[in-house]
Amino acid sequence: MKTTANPAPAAAGDAATARPITLIEAVTQALAWEMRHDESVVVLGEDVGVNGGVFRATAGLQQEFGPMRVLDTPLDETTIAGLTVGMAATGMKPVAEAQFDGFVYPMLDHVICHAARFRYRTRGRLTCPMVLRVPWGGGIRAPEHHSEANEALFTNVPGLRVVMPSSPARAYGLLLAAIREPDPVIYFEPKRIYRQYKEVVPDDGEALPLDVCYVLRDGSDVTIVTWGAQVKEALEAADQLAAEGISAEVIDVATLKPLDFATIAESVAKTGRCVIVHEAPRTAGFGAEIAARLAEQSMFDLVAPVERVAGYDTHMPLFRLEMKYMPATARVVEAARRTLAQS
Amino acid sequence: MGDKKTFHLPDLGEGLPDATIVEWYVKEGDTVRLDDNLVSMETAKAVVEVPSPVSGKVLRLAGGAGDVIVTGAMLAEFEIDPSQPQRAEGQDTGHHHGAPKGPGSADAGGDDRVVASSDGGAIEATAEAPPEDKSEAGGERADSGTVVGAMQASDTVHREAAVAVGGVKAMPAVRAMARKLGVDLARVRGSGADGVVTMADVKRAATEGTATAQPGAPARTASSPAPAPAGAPRERTAVSASGKPMRTSPPSVSASGQPEQLKGVRRNMARVMADAHAKVVPTTLVDDADIHAWQPGNDLTVRLVRAICAAARAVPALNAWFDGDNLSRTLHPHVDIGIAVDTPEGLFVPALRNADLLDAGAIRESINRLREQVQDRSIPASELGGYTISLSNFGMFAGRYATPVVVPPCVAIVGAGRGRHEMVPVVGGFEPRRILPISLTFDHRACTGGEAARFLKALLDDLALPS
Amino acid sequence: MTVAARFEIEYLQYLDPNGQLVADLPPHAPSGEEVLALFRQMLFLRTFDGKAVALQRTGKLGTYAPCLGHEATQVAIGAAMRPEDVFAPSYREYGAQIMRGVQLREILMYWGGDERGNDYANEPARHDFPWCVPIATQCLHAAGAALAFKLRGEKRVAVTCCGDGGSSKTDTYAAINSAGAYALPFVQCIINNGWAISVPRSAQTGAQTLAQKGLAGGLYCLQVDGNDLFASLEGMRRAMERARNGEGGTVIEFLTYRLHDHTTADDARRYRDEAEVKDAWTRDPMTRLRSWLVAKGLWDEAREREWVAECTRRVDEEINAYLETRTQPPETMFDYLYADPPPDILEQRAQLLALEGRA
Repeated sequence: MKTTANPAPAAAGDAATARPITLIEAVTQALAWEMRHDESVVVLGEDVGVNGGVFRATAGLQQEFGPMRVLDTPLDETTIAGLTVGMAATGMKPVAEAQFDGFVYPMLDHVICHAARFRYRTRGRLTCPMVLRVPWGGGIRAPEHHSEANEALFTNVPGLRVVMPSSPARAYGLLLAAIREPDPVIYFEPKRIYRQYKEVVPDDGEALPLDVCYVLRDGSDVTIVTWGAQVKEALEAADQLAAEGISAEVIDVATLKPLDFATIAESVAKTGRCVIVHEAPRTAGFGAEIAARLAEQSMFDLVAPVERVAGYDTHMPLFRLEMKYMPATARVVEAARRTLAQS
Repeated sequence: MGDKKTFHLPDLGEGLPDATIVEWYVKEGDTVRLDDNLVSMETAKAVVEVPSPVSGKVLRLAGGAGDVIVTGAMLAEFEIDPSQPQRAEGQDTGHHHGAPKGPGSADAGGDDRVVASSDGGAIEATAEAPPEDKSEAGGERADSGTVVGAMQASDTVHREAAVAVGGVKAMPAVRAMARKLGVDLARVRGSGADGVVTMADVKRAATEGTATAQPGAPARTASSPAPAPAGAPRERTAVSASGKPMRTSPPSVSASGQPEQLKGVRRNMARVMADAHAKVVPTTLVDDADIHAWQPGNDLTVRLVRAICAAARAVPALNAWFDGDNLSRTLHPHVDIGIAVDTPEGLFVPALRNADLLDAGAIRESINRLREQVQDRSIPASELGGYTISLSNFGMFAGRYATPVVVPPCVAIVGAGRGRHEMVPVVGGFEPRRILPISLTFDHRACTGGEAARFLKALLDDLALPS
Repeated sequence: MTVAARFEIEYLQYLDPNGQLVADLPPHAPSGEEVLALFRQMLFLRTFDGKAVALQRTGKLGTYAPCLGHEATQVAIGAAMRPEDVFAPSYREYGAQIMRGVQLREILMYWGGDERGNDYANEPARHDFPWCVPIATQCLHAAGAALAFKLRGEKRVAVTCCGDGGSSKTDTYAAINSAGAYALPFVQCIINNGWAISVPRSAQTGAQTLAQKGLAGGLYCLQVDGNDLFASLEGMRRAMERARNGEGGTVIEFLTYRLHDHTTADDARRYRDEAEVKDAWTRDPMTRLRSWLVAKGLWDEAREREWVAECTRRVDEEINAYLETRTQPPETMFDYLYADPPPDILEQRAQLLALEGRA
């Protein structure tokens, strides 16, 4: 049942020529690869089977693996979370889907009280190797409750991993890593960039490392730290700043918890300035954690106060005003300029 | 005569870039009423009935059955019938996404009825690839792929560039993997094009245990900012484009250039010398050999070898091995001389066996053979050790006196510096004499100063002989 | 064998798909004229629903959840409620809501991305719960409202709706249980339209009926043909009477069919057979009721054309009103967060205003 260090020989589709795929397709590709090589991996959620998921994340999986490995659940998040914990503790590797971030709240009970605690409270006798995939964030003009950015709820919970990819390649590699991780992973998928662009992602089963940041762009004047969909805005901002002669380093945190602060610290030691960007509301958002660590460990490297470009401390408005809420590229550029104005 | 209105094809399913005309329910010249069925359009998702947005007369239709219309392109033109009720203009909800708009491309400024969003506003023709290019994505792509909302979708293929941080070029994922595995990227030789470090390079370095990152030291060692990731490499400058002084690495980070991982001989040398330094108690005597009497044809290296053999005969204590752990020494009856050979790869010390038995010709031959073998790397490893004393003729290049390193288990090493002429006082004045500076380092655990001095004297005396 | 408890679930149907009465109409059945008024209401609803879909297809409305096929159920629920009652809908029961005063423009504003859609202007909707997206959470809210009525001794009823999918939700079970534990004036309408997005009713539960889920809470359970207006009205009548008389809660399962996709962004062809949908159309609530009315001489084609034209006119009026409503200024996203906005909210509001000034 357990996957071995050298997984079974690749199925026919594995060696296929890599074609450019979107982030959502990368998720499907990763799920398929891992399910081919590890029969303990099962997928469950609402509409994931026949329909392939409301975002098509699980498209084709039930056709390939059958309804005993790709399960359409009754409509209840508590059910999904509870069943997932139970399965994980009994030798399976469930990859559960929350249909939307806004529907994840009933799952908190099982995730926080149990998934995050099994290993700890049984001194390792029971563990919970599960992945909870959550389409995350706003920007798709969706109805209410479909645009939440609630990663900060999970980053404050000991025993969890919180991961968020920002590109098709990282979505593939990090999801594989998450499934192979023996502890629970909350895997947020920024839906705004589900189909933003395509990237060639070889279907080779190679996982990317968790628990480390990804430096996407080298720079020397200011460090922009972000994750998820805002990586797009951060890179756009870096381009704009470059035109003004400002060299911005862009870091994709990727694994929020546990946080690889060393990479951020190194970058700030070089640039002396930091702009943290996140869509979630500002107060007690995950950016606050990074800012606090900068104050603790990088105080003497900083030549300007840390800037946070975040969602306002109000609910994501309905779609007419949605883009006024989200951290726009212009706000990131402004924040970067402010750090340079200081010195 | 009423106003003209152009009806652009709306996004029929949240993110669909186009649709195919299946059947028109009207023809040009027909009268239509608001919300009457206008046309049936097919997407890969479904066949959708599109209603008329106005009451009036159909002036123009964009195409016929089977034609593909891009979302946002003109679908039909009408002449509005003012006597009939019409729909208010209202705002477009932007529940479609054409090509991503650049920043600042807001719509109809000043009209506060326009959706207050950079994504909203009038539908535009998209700048996306023609439908044929998208077939590769399979049947999934034209499906709206969401059950709510409108998602920006594009077939643009993106390639992430290798990021050059600290002078080392690597893809972000490779860089991240290096950090995860504790590999110092700066010490990994990149096997990718243009010196890019690949994932395989990093993983190999991790398995081989090379290039381990020092704990606590940053993984980068470059002191200057690296060139921009894409495009031509940038010159290192003292100020950034915005006029700010370029930040350099903190003082704990050393050096510039691209450090390389030591391999082979250099690696070995580093280890061996460090080991020697830790164990040996070195003391060096220096003096000059007066070789003015040498006849032409004297081979310097051969003479040095002979002199060492002579000195070893005189004072065997310096032709020995010392075991510092057991505090024992082994005096050797034979003299095998380790000859330091300098190569681009590093320092080799092949052993000239039984130097005390060889005549001048044999010595020269052996040394040449050893050099050749070193050069073409055919020398067996067994011949790179086991000597009883060493010789370093650094004087071929420069330098007078030195404190060459004694490498255990040997107890002595002779260094020969660069020959020179010196005015030496003699009876009746000064004479120019050829001088060969000699340095002798001995391990004071094993030898006394007296022994070393006597050895040196014997060495110098032999060197002073004409041939 | 000693039986600890025995249950049976009654099923109600009076009008079959062909418009033929298969059972005597119940004692409190509406008169012909009353039925006619409700039929016109159903037709108005269907007209609006079709236009809303057209609006979305022409880029004027966001994602919309159509109610095609649910007309009899929804109108029956609306008709059975009194102004003093409270309605906790999901996001599809426009039929009941319109009868309680929700305006079409409000429905459109909501799906059009404007929070003001939830701010129902007219009574009695003004004291109803707004649309609810987190599935079936409204059921527990309704139970809470019913609890408030009980505690205050008010003769009011809380009515809530969820779908067949929603009946699997923890909140539904909790609502049913609380309603039973407290003997609440509570009516749980389970609108079984056969599909929860792509998941068919058969995959939701092993129970034979959804109505029987009420047994677990000790509630009265009833299953009705939701496409039969008479059955739907009778079911609601019984439930409301019980509740108002302090006899406790009810679960009514309405059997109907989702004739449209889950939302305008869904495509049901992916997971269900067109043949099934075609077959469902033969059980359309409008068709059978029309037949019955026509047979009774209360309705004809001409009157239908006239009424549909009138419906169209009214709906278009509302649509224009919606289209002409200006978007709220962006700083309103900070309004209504608290009764008394704290300083940092005001600060951020000012920041946004400043940004807007520059933009």
